[in-house]
Amino acid sequence: MKLDPLKTKRLIADFRLFFVLLLVMAVLTILSPRFLKLDNLSNVLWSVCLIGIMCSGAIYSPITGGIDLSVASMAALSGIIANVLMNKAGIPWVPALLLTLVFGALIGYINGIVTTRFRVPAFIVTMAAKTYLFGLAMLVSNGDQITIMQPKGFLAIGVGKFLGLPIPIYIMVVLIIASHVLLKHTVFGRQAIAVGANEVSARLSGVDPDRVRVIVYVLSAVAATVAGIVMASLTQQAYAANAGGYELDVITAIVVGGTSLMGGSGSVAGALIGAVMVGFINNGLNLLNMPSAFHPLVTGIVILLALRLNQGISLPGFLKLGRKA
Amino acid sequence: MSETESQAGVLLECRGIDKSYNGPMVLSAVDFSIRRGEVHSLVGENGAGKSTLIKIITGVTGRNAGEMSFDGVAIGAEHSKKAAQDLGIAVIYQELSLIHGMSVAQNLFLTREPRYPLIGLINIARMNAEAQALIDRYGFSLKATDSVDSLSIAQRQTVEILKALNSMASLIIMDEPTSSLTSTESAQLFAIVQKLKAEGIAVLYISHRMEEVYRLSDRVTVLRDGRKVAILEKDQIHPEEIIRLMIGRALEAGESNRSMARKGGEVVLEVKGLCSQDRFQDVAFSLHKGEILGIGGLVGSGRTELVRAIYGIDPFDSGQVSFLGRDWKPGVSASIEGGIGFVPEERRLQGIMGGISITGNVGIPNLDSTGTLGFVSDRRELELARKAIGLLNIRPAEPSVPVGNLSGGNQQKVVVGKWLIRDLKLLIVDEPTVGIDIGAKEEMYQTFARLAAAGVSIILVSSDLPELTRLSDRIIVLRKGRIIREFAEGVVTEEDVLRASSGILEGGGR
Repeated sequence: MKLDPLKTKRLIADFRLFFVLLLVMAVLTILSPRFLKLDNLSNVLWSVCLIGIMCSGAIYSPITGGIDLSVASMAALSGIIANVLMNKAGIPWVPALLLTLVFGALIGYINGIVTTRFRVPAFIVTMAAKTYLFGLAMLVSNGDQITIMQPKGFLAIGVGKFLGLPIPIYIMVVLIIASHVLLKHTVFGRQAIAVGANEVSARLSGVDPDRVRVIVYVLSAVAATVAGIVMASLTQQAYAANAGGYELDVITAIVVGGTSLMGGSGSVAGALIGAVMVGFINNGLNLLNMPSAFHPLVTGIVILLALRLNQGISLPGFLKLGRKA
Repeated sequence: MSETESQAGVLLECRGIDKSYNGPMVLSAVDFSIRRGEVHSLVGENGAGKSTLIKIITGVTGRNAGEMSFDGVAIGAEHSKKAAQDLGIAVIYQELSLIHGMSVAQNLFLTREPRYPLIGLINIARMNAEAQALIDRYGFSLKATDSVDSLSIAQRQTVEILKALNSMASLIIMDEPTSSLTSTESAQLFAIVQKLKAEGIAVLYISHRMEEVYRLSDRVTVLRDGRKVAILEKDQIHPEEIIRLMIGRALEAGESNRSMARKGGEVVLEVKGLCSQDRFQDVAFSLHKGEILGIGGLVGSGRTELVRAIYGIDPFDSGQVSFLGRDWKPGVSASIEGGIGFVPEERRLQGIMGGISITGNVGIPNLDSTGTLGFVSDRRELELARKAIGLLNIRPAEPSVPVGNLSGGNQQKVVVGKWLIRDLKLLIVDEPTVGIDIGAKEEMYQTFARLAAAGVSIILVSSDLPELTRLSDRIIVLRKGRIIREFAEGVVTEEDVLRASSGILEGGGR
């Protein structure tokens, strides 16, 4: 058997990200003895689950050359909406959650339509959505931090276990796999990549870029809604600022995972590793008792390092800052 | 030769240049020199090493071995883009580098704007005056205060050249400068080249168009497979000779004009009274099975707009189209489903998806045959890609290579190839061979001929007159959106088509 050089190269690229992850873990293990303990790792898992679930949908917008900044607001709002439907309108939890998902899909549809019909850049559209969804959340929740005590079925989503593993993990794994299959093995996945690679060429080959984009933003918003439901159930809370800043963690995870913001390529598996990495870094900073004022600074630097390392630049090469350009 | 000492002086000297990008040698032992104030053409098929040599000269990439000197001063291994600019080497790239929204003067003086003393703000009046003085000195018809957005591509190129002149360049490298120019604009560019030469500025000219090379060059260097094959002096330059040296064989007979014969048989496409506002008016023609219909005319004559409307990308206002005997409402999806393929102009902008693989590019219009219930069969898709690679001899024959990494000719083969694996009835190609080397061009022509013989009808839009006259069974010429002439029988010469395109009809003088 002859080794396909391109495949080997891609394999190395995939594993490189994994090695970067191991490196981050090794550093954290050395710095804090508590890091590798099971209870700590399961702590990390919660945030990884939420970021991972959001990534499963949000990854499609950068693949088509766009971006979705509204996922965190969407998640916070969906927790609040779900609570209103279940505990104020008295709708049983299953239909209530389905309605919440429909609402999420509608918001995504609006994002998609505004982006495509009115030719507004996705960055602006979703930044506006981030703001008005937050406003809507404030309005519906009266700005309160709502505590959700029932129904039991709903709360089981966050805290329940199946075969010894928390249910959110199953939700994330299912969505990540579904997203991977959607990207790599379906007509829609091919079309999304084509739109990101060259929209004009894709259109001439029979792809409807506007239709693809609308679906992309629906997927993104629906995944954020799922994350919001899981988060509300897990924390038994719903408030407008919940998940604040998660949109950047999501984009970071996606980009660290090897998806280009310029469009035309993407890796769901990479985004998952990226999500784990982001979770570890946030967790590590807490473990090290670092004052919270330092967190964004350190996170930013670590993300840049991770990105450069993932681009195949060795550490010695990286330290020769800027020589290559 | 009556050249004076200084004119004959060597400006750029390269000796024994070797280059490999980890692996095969791209250039081996190449000697190359440019004299002061000469127009020197560098020719060779794609992959012959032209671009690599240019990159080495302009400091974009390093060399593995060999010596270089400019103006008598040795250029060390530490050559860089900045160093090349400082020496006075300027490049006019295919993709122009002007900044949109800025004026001509602003572009010319970018980063070197004249300032008011002390306060350091830009002296706009002086900048505009100096820019205008520069423009006038070379006799160009440009205004310093015009926005570059309002200029034609040819005028933008002129600004690029002025930019080079403004930075005191003594060597200007032009890479395929006429690829997006009309013939009138090309003629203007040739005049500029002559002017530069008269000013003592050397021009290194790269073009696939032999008639330009023949017309402009004082000397020609021919590269083949990374080696210098010949340096031709002015009196040795003949187009056939250059082509023979480039491809290492003589062109076969039958590659020039042939007699056209009206094809009968089934009408595949019929267009009646097609109008689209100010793009084209009252266009009517019919296309038979297995016929190659050439559409000639100048850039801007409505050719591209017409074929885009027929394929269904842009709407039209009135008129009828019938396809395979049925009334036809053009639309991209319907066209693809019905067996129409479309190869757009501007390969890189519209044709290829550079970042994704050959398989990805070939797969997109064929998702109807590779997909079942929304899921795509990787195996089926790979088969199609291999089939396209085999049909068109795409190199490298590796389906996973990103198309952007292929040579221009192979990129175009991918764009054409993705249609050939379908049940094709009609293929529309717009400027299919711009910027691709002679070998790939030849293969493309054979592909079209093979398709036509197999019963596929072809609409060929081209500014390349030899191409148009050689391939077409019939030629219609558009001028200002209307069919001004149709050539259906007998031998049509390039001159006939050119005259019609320029509005010089029967019996007109030169």
